[in-house]
This record gives sequence, structure tokens and C-alpha cells, in this order.
Amino acid sequence: MKHLRPINRKAERIDQAASMTEEDVVALQQQPDPKKPHVPMGCSLAFFPGWEVDAGGGTAGLCQPVERDIYDCYVTCFWPVQVADHVNYSPDWASNCAIATKDWRKLDLVFP
Amino acid sequence: MKTLRLGLIALWAAATAALSPAQAGTMFLGGYPSQLMVIDEAKGAVTQEIDLKTGLPMSMRLSDDGKLLYATTITTSGIEVVDIATRKIVNSFSLNTPGVRYRFTGGVADRSGRYFYILGTRIDKGVDSYRISKQQFMVVDLQTKAVVRTADLEPDDQKFSFRGALMLSPDGKTLYAFRDKVIVVNTADLKTVDHFDLAKPDFPGMQEVSFGGGVGRLQTPGQFVSLFETEDPYIHNKTFGVARLDLDTRQFSFTPIGPSPKALSGLEVSPDGKFGYTVAVIGDLGSQRCEFWRFDLDKNRALDKAEFPCRRRFYFGISGDGRKLYIYGAGFDVAVYDAKTLKPATAWELTHDITMSGMVITR
Repeated sequence: MKHLRPINRKAERIDQAASMTEEDVVALQQQPDPKKPHVPMGCSLAFFPGWEVDAGGGTAGLCQPVERDIYDCYVTCFWPVQVADHVNYSPDWASNCAIATKDWRKLDLVFP
Repeated sequence: MKTLRLGLIALWAAATAALSPAQAGTMFLGGYPSQLMVIDEAKGAVTQEIDLKTGLPMSMRLSDDGKLLYATTITTSGIEVVDIATRKIVNSFSLNTPGVRYRFTGGVADRSGRYFYILGTRIDKGVDSYRISKQQFMVVDLQTKAVVRTADLEPDDQKFSFRGALMLSPDGKTLYAFRDKVIVVNTADLKTVDHFDLAKPDFPGMQEVSFGGGVGRLQTPGQFVSLFETEDPYIHNKTFGVARLDLDTRQFSFTPIGPSPKALSGLEVSPDGKFGYTVAVIGDLGSQRCEFWRFDLDKNRALDKAEFPCRRRFYFGISGDGRKLYIYGAGFDVAVYDAKTLKPATAWELTHDITMSGMVITR
């Protein structure tokens, strides 16, 4: 946002207040609590990268094989676009598949 | 003569069994899509599957007398009670109705077996919207199969996570919620009466499942022993150590051991109460390393450690006889390690993918 400049006094005060917050002196190892989203129910507000990349943008952080990770993501909506939503819409998605790594072909199809 | 010999052999066998400090037990693990797997620790194989009526198991908790297993399920916000001796479901119900849903991940039953304490939220479906309650302590009546009492957590305790194991004092008067702080609650009115600035070490990917083993192995009734971490108020360096919490008197002692690694699992305790084990995770993603750490719980100090191959997400447990350490999930297998040498021993393939419900072992 550095290309934006305040053009009136109110905007200037906002800019000053924002810069004061940013330039606060903190201890080197101080880590503020990360802000986490409030997800009231289900998956509607969660967006994470897909199966192809991990949280760091690579592949080293993925489960091996990735099918190991299908079910826990199915329950917790970690990858809500790629995996069905257990809690709200697809409670039976995995009912014919006990082991995702071996039997993933038995997973149900989900149509929007 | 033959009869006498057989009698002596039988007597010797009985005496050996009685003197044996610990035996391999029976393991209960949650399985997808809606099972509890019963595993014989000696054989390393699934011997029975218990179908849950209310859906996918998300937590398990053994009653104080070890006779009942309480499982909570997420699919329909259910609670199922399993009789350990017969392995039959003796109570099963869902809290959800067409207009009301609940979200919670675990709980604890009182000693009477009548009431079940949970921490969660209630969602009411309106004509054009959903009304979501604040996070609440709730009391479920296991006989009437309904939530009978609720109380909102204090505003400062309204955190995003539903996770946070619950413990109940033996006299049933105090409830403890282990989150980023320990919240102490009076069960009579569900009001928060105190906080301890201690947190259970936890990290994304390793769920808070250590209570199944750790609590079951307590040598001193009414006392909860586990790893906790604390941080100083200025630099915010985190230190981990062993904390002992007296559940009746609400007193705790904390003995620091060293600086906290990036992540630390819960404490698993050997049956004799002398040794504790945990898993430390150092680094992240491609540079992640995992280590077993062993502690002398009499002297509150670390004894040794050993590296093992990381899984991206996993849970940690200990066998009923304390001789084996388990790394399990995500997936369908359990990696078994020797608790003495901390070296890999074998691996068991199960019949279902393992859920996040943790591990309960009975003997």
C-alpha cells in the first residue's frame, strides 16, 4: 500500500496511526498471537491451497502418499474445495471406503 | 503325580501373571467411516470392529473405573458409550435435531456416569440465518440424552479452537479445560473460577490425544501429570516441563526441563509411573525432524532421545505394558517402536484409516 498517499488531514491521521502500529518496538523473539478466522460451521469460509502444494508452496510437507490425508481433511474442511464436506453436505462420502490409500476409487462422487 | 505337576504348573503360571507388572492390552482406535477398531496388542491385529450409529468418532475417553468407553462423533454430534467387558454399545444418541446442531470434539463423564461435560457451540437454524452461540461449557444428561445445562466461556477464553481436553476432579466439583491456559470451572454453576498460565504443548497435525494414555496410567488418583509449557511475559521464550495438577485442591507444581521445541506432543507414561515419553518436532515442511524424548518422572529430567522418520501428521501413544511406543495416523498403519531402545520394531496394518479420536488401551 506504499503507493497510496493521504491527501487530507483525516487520511493523514489514519496513516500516522497505522505507521505507529507498524513501528512499535517489540522484543526480537516476541510473536504476537496469529489471528485466526472464525469458522462458524462447515467449510464456507476456508480457502487453502489444493493437494498440489503444502502450506509452504512446495510438496515436502504433504502426506505421503497424499491419500493418507484425504479423510482428516474431509472431516475438518481443511481443503474444502478438493474434498467433500463431511459435516454439512456429504456425510456418506467415505462410507464405502475404509482405507483411502487402497480404496480411493470407492469414494462417492459429489455433484454441486 | 501328573495331577500334582499340572497343579504346580498352574500355580506357577498364576503367580507369574500376578507378579507381572504390566501386560499387553487391548487397544481401541477410531476408524473411518464410523468404526471403533479393537486391536490385540500382543498380535498387532484388529480382532473386532464396533460400528457406531452416530457417525465418525472424534474422541474417546475411558471412565475412571475403566469399565466404560465414551466416544464422541462428529457426523451427528453423537455420544456413544461402550461396555469394555462385552464390547457392546450400551448408550448411543445424537444431540443434533433438524433445527439445532452442536459442535464439540470431546468430553468427560462424571463418576456417576450420568452427566457428560463438553466444550462446544450450539447452532440454531433460523428462517433466514443460523444463530451461532458463543463457546460454552455444556452438561449432557446421558439418561435423558439432552443438554441440560450451559454456560458461556468468559470473553477472554472465547478462542477459535474447539480443541482442549477436559478433566474432572474426583469429587466432581471442578472441571479443567486445557487450552492456551488451564481454565478452572466450578461444576455447580459452570463459572470460571481460576486460570493457570500453563499451556498444553500442541501443534497443528498432532491432535490433543495424549489424555487417553496419560490419564489412564496415573499412579496417584486425583492427580494429573503431563508436559506443559509456559512463557515469560517479556521475551516470550517458551519453556517446557512436567506439571502435576492436584485435581481436588486445584494446586499445581511445575518443574521446568528446558526450552520448548517447535512442537511437543503430550506425555505418555509407563505403567509404573517412572518414565514419561513424548515426541518433539523440530523444523517444518521439508526440514522437519521428529524425536522421541524419554523422561525420568521421579527426578523430572530428560534421559535420552532418538530420531525417527517423521510423518506429516501423526499421533503418539504407548502400549499397555509400556514396552512399545506407537506412531499412528494419518492412514491405516501403526508404526511400533521399542520403548527401551527407541528403535523401530514393527508396523501393523489395520482395517480402516485411523481417525483423530486418539488411542485408548485397556488391560
